[in-house]
Amino acid sequence: MTAPMTPVRSSPVAQALVARKAQWAPYRGMPCAVSVSAEDARHSAAVGVCDVSGLERCGLKGSGAAAWLEAQGVRVPAGANEWVALPGGGIVARLARTEFLIEDGPSGTEVRRVRPLIRAGIDGVTPVLRQDCALVLTGERVPELLVQTCNVDFSGVPADGPGLTLTQMVGVSVTVIRRELNGEPALRLWCDFTSGPYLWETLVGIAEELGGGAVGVAAAWPELHAATGT
Amino acid sequence: MKLLNCPVNGSRPVSEFAYGGEVRAMPPADCTDPQWADYVFHRSGIPGVKVEWWYHIASGTWFYAERDVSLDRILRTWLPGESPEGEIR
Repeated sequence: MTAPMTPVRSSPVAQALVARKAQWAPYRGMPCAVSVSAEDARHSAAVGVCDVSGLERCGLKGSGAAAWLEAQGVRVPAGANEWVALPGGGIVARLARTEFLIEDGPSGTEVRRVRPLIRAGIDGVTPVLRQDCALVLTGERVPELLVQTCNVDFSGVPADGPGLTLTQMVGVSVTVIRRELNGEPALRLWCDFTSGPYLWETLVGIAEELGGGAVGVAAAWPELHAATGT
Repeated sequence: MKLLNCPVNGSRPVSEFAYGGEVRAMPPADCTDPQWADYVFHRSGIPGVKVEWWYHIASGTWFYAERDVSLDRILRTWLPGESPEGEIR
């Protein structure tokens, strides 16, 4: 009998990061770009675009999804387009009314606990496969990047507030929350993995014009860097 | 920029939406071929206030919009099942 293969996940923007000669470290089965260049800290302070697709996540939807999650001991946002924080830096996001995205933070374990329980056949619950391209935008010039790419003004959205926005960025449907990372307000983005490379290249291109660029998690999210053990 | 009010996500540029056509009653399953052809191929081009399907692409939300097509003015939007007049058939 042969030993079972260890699945290796890959970020939707891995090839773009390989081309930039990023430094990698494993994080829960997916190579995670720890640093992209020696200028990461400076780029992150201006406009940093960081790939965090390696964070574990799961999704479900349906009329019974909220009640089912509560029955599993998961705190659920009260209203449509809201999110709540999970221990370990994760989130539970309510997308519109009856769909949920759960993402573990760097040291979170909730997805690992709940994901195996989500299956077809639960009354009013439909599993949703989440293979998102997940990004972090950091830096003081992020509003300038948003003006060029997005129709929604996030400046009035409080960091770590409950608000979640489903909108489009350079024509790509994205889920956006504003939260505090590393003591600074940052934007978290999720989009379908097929649109990830296009969104990544476009955002990085604009960020470079603004004095920023692609950055690794060491600069953008130190807790995630620490979780890689490097 | 034209704005459209999604009942779930709020006011957004119309570029975030897709038009789904006028809300029309589907003929019964045992309808005749001419009745079905009329439903599939014929649309009303009469200007005035119409109820239409619209779709918010980013969130996957289908909803109704009452629009004066002669002025391209959205009068109101609401989710299926949430109209005081009841469901549109």
